[in-house]
Amino acid sequence: MRILQLNRRDFLKSSAFAGGGLFLGLSGFAKLAEAEAGKALPPYLHIAQDGGIHLGVPSSEMGQGTHTTLAMFLAEELEVEMSQIKHIETLHHPDFKNPIFAEWTNSAINIQVTGGSVSIRAWHLPFRQLGATARELLRSSASRKWNVPVVECMAVNGRIEHSGSGRSLGYGDLVEIASLLTPIKNPKLKSPEHFRLLGKAIPRWDTPIKVNGTAVFGTDVDLPGMLYGTVKHCSVFGEKISGIDDSKAKEVQGVIAVLPLEDHAVVVANSTWAAMQGAKVLNLQTSGGYNDLSDENIIKQFRTDLAKEGVPVAHRGDPVTFMEQAAQVLELEYESPLQAHAAMEPLCATANVTPEGCEVWAPTQSNDFAMMIAMGITQLPPEKIKIHTTYLGGGFGRKVEYDFITAPLLASKMLGKPVKVTWTREEDTRHDFYRPPFLVKMRFGLDAEGMLQGLSAKLVGPAVSRRWKMPPPWLEKNGRDWMVTIGMFDGYNLPNRTPDLSKAYSIPNIQVDFVPSDIQVPTGAWRSIGTAHNTFALESGLDEVALAGGHDPFELRRNLLSHNSRALAVLDKAEELANWGKHPKGRFQGMAYTDYLETYQVQVVEASVSKRGKVTVHNIICVADCGQVFNSHIAKQQLEGGIIFGLTAALKGEINVQNGQVVQSNFDDYPMLKLKDIPEIKVHLIENHGPPGGLGEAGTSLIGPAVANAVFAATGKRLRRLPIKSKDLV
Amino acid sequence: MTKLKINGKQLTLKLDPETPLLWALRDHLKLHGTKYGCGIEQCGACTVHVNGRAVRSCGISVGAVADKAITTIEGLSPNSNHPVQQAWTEVDVPQCGYCQTGMIMASAALLERKARPTDKDIDRSVTNICRCGTYNQVRKAIHLASQIKEGV
Repeated sequence: MRILQLNRRDFLKSSAFAGGGLFLGLSGFAKLAEAEAGKALPPYLHIAQDGGIHLGVPSSEMGQGTHTTLAMFLAEELEVEMSQIKHIETLHHPDFKNPIFAEWTNSAINIQVTGGSVSIRAWHLPFRQLGATARELLRSSASRKWNVPVVECMAVNGRIEHSGSGRSLGYGDLVEIASLLTPIKNPKLKSPEHFRLLGKAIPRWDTPIKVNGTAVFGTDVDLPGMLYGTVKHCSVFGEKISGIDDSKAKEVQGVIAVLPLEDHAVVVANSTWAAMQGAKVLNLQTSGGYNDLSDENIIKQFRTDLAKEGVPVAHRGDPVTFMEQAAQVLELEYESPLQAHAAMEPLCATANVTPEGCEVWAPTQSNDFAMMIAMGITQLPPEKIKIHTTYLGGGFGRKVEYDFITAPLLASKMLGKPVKVTWTREEDTRHDFYRPPFLVKMRFGLDAEGMLQGLSAKLVGPAVSRRWKMPPPWLEKNGRDWMVTIGMFDGYNLPNRTPDLSKAYSIPNIQVDFVPSDIQVPTGAWRSIGTAHNTFALESGLDEVALAGGHDPFELRRNLLSHNSRALAVLDKAEELANWGKHPKGRFQGMAYTDYLETYQVQVVEASVSKRGKVTVHNIICVADCGQVFNSHIAKQQLEGGIIFGLTAALKGEINVQNGQVVQSNFDDYPMLKLKDIPEIKVHLIENHGPPGGLGEAGTSLIGPAVANAVFAATGKRLRRLPIKSKDLV
Repeated sequence: MTKLKINGKQLTLKLDPETPLLWALRDHLKLHGTKYGCGIEQCGACTVHVNGRAVRSCGISVGAVADKAITTIEGLSPNSNHPVQQAWTEVDVPQCGYCQTGMIMASAALLERKARPTDKDIDRSVTNICRCGTYNQVRKAIHLASQIKEGV
């Protein structure tokens, strides 16, 4: 990375940050020539003449607090308070290709994308460097203006102060000079003991606009002359439109047009309500479709495929021989159903396509996918297309997809006006890329002392990455798909990397295989990806192993993680904070552990079960070591939010498929946890200056097994399928 | 023609009286702080006040509220300084933020009815859905708002 100072003249016409002042961007060396030729890219740091700071960032803000935390990196080094940052937006920018995805895939996936809980890991250093570069430019400017050595010019709270004379100037007064200077390479970054902001509980930058209702989400985009639309899909998966009867739809007052696409139609009207009314009475004639698709058939297919050999995921020792001589073998099967994302903001996007250009406004996690689909539909070159990223009303992996951007682009292109398309909740629930269903079979082998010495596991379910038109490098030809094997000793085995099991449970003999068993239900990335089914199976299975071997669940894990000091510290702290083994009468405890995203974490649940089988979770202790914490408030919110997301999937609904279509449609039949259901949650972060781990998805997958283990402690009934149903407990 | 009194202003809209209040607010009056989440009065993202009571605006027609005083998040306070908004800011409740305006409206209406709500009151009255999991902070902020409102 290299930081460029960009000529102001180049940006006045193209930039969202118009006006005088200092502009900076990060770029590779190759871009320098372009900058000098005046064809440079838009900047993403602008310090205005009034000292106000305007910042463009790579990551989409979907509740994970990334705008705030990225701004903190800049503010820390630039020596300003957060209040001096006047504007933050997600910019679609060639500099903002996600470097972690590129690293994982040997640059095969080199796109701007927010996902995988990597924003902070990807961008903490570049944004600190950007802040430090600007700070040094401002110090140099003051030194020239006052004709004093740079070392005597200190950056303090948005001003440069001269130590000898007591003179000081605000940043705004220095930007004109700064814009004429050349930035120094590799400016010195602050050492952590001098941090004013990083590591502290800093409030979110966007809270004021989210409290007064002015934050613009995807659904809130409003353009002059804009039309409103909604979509109606064929109800059965795989169906295509063969004809439509839109006579009734067109009778609805306000409906302007009905546009049939391949597997869905767009109804465009002069209001969203009119469009939705029109869609309701629109009659789609269809052909094809997987009418036989059902939950029963899916699990039947998985059970048949369980007999197949599968592709290897992990191997250690000699599991075959050990299993033959094991003192005790536990053979266990765990199942996970389909789940929908159900973000509070239904899918939506707005497009304005003209012969000269195209603009898209979308709550997207993948700005480059939005660009790709816009190029495909408009046939315009990328320089004539602009992707605006709004706030996302939740994403959870659903808004990485681009299916919801197609309809507004096509409708706008055909009608010659801007069109905003908002899906109904029903369409959003019934046409998701769902969390894949999985069957996980495990055989645990214990020695004479009851210690776990062997595990052979087989994962059966869809290789979700096969759906992508361009197969990602983590999908191997034999169907092995990291998206769904992660969490079962996959060793973070991203392409061309040796599996690393050094931090994992030290079971000496391991064989894990994956049998790809594709289904005709669209599946995708759901907060916590493969760990959703794998961590449920493994952490519940280990609870069974502990019991069978006569060990306490904490003791078993300590034994298997004795080589991993960070894991041990997390286990110790969680046991202490949860008062493990000393629960009140009538309440029972369960625990689970993961190292997903290189965040070491234990959750302990205290629950009770009524005679009617109603499970009440009273409190949850979460202890995490996620390496260096940059904003402890947001870090805790992320873990707590992830826990509630996972708890909802463990205690509430599931997605069922019958006759080729999804049964559920809205929050009445796909219910969510509400305030009355929420336990007390305490999150404890272990101080650590190691490299940052991921947090956005970290809390989600281990709450299910922790609850199921507590339910077992309460009832003696082992839940091998989530969500928990009261009828299974009476 | 439908007459509406919204945030203290008397308005006349050319609208089918059957139009849900939500869509009149969002598409016709551009009051985007009131959100669409489900359309069947389940999630509460569209909560507004009608004569001071919390109402889910997706389930009530403009015709039915023609002579009533409607308040949206935009009209809750002049400077985002309603006690509930102050408390929300103090606790720093929002994550994605999409459901939050509805949560704030539901909470503000609760405090009008009950100055010092118990946890049970909150459970019963604020039944909005949040997928980011802000619930515990919501509860904390409602108690804090009650204190701010009472001048404690």
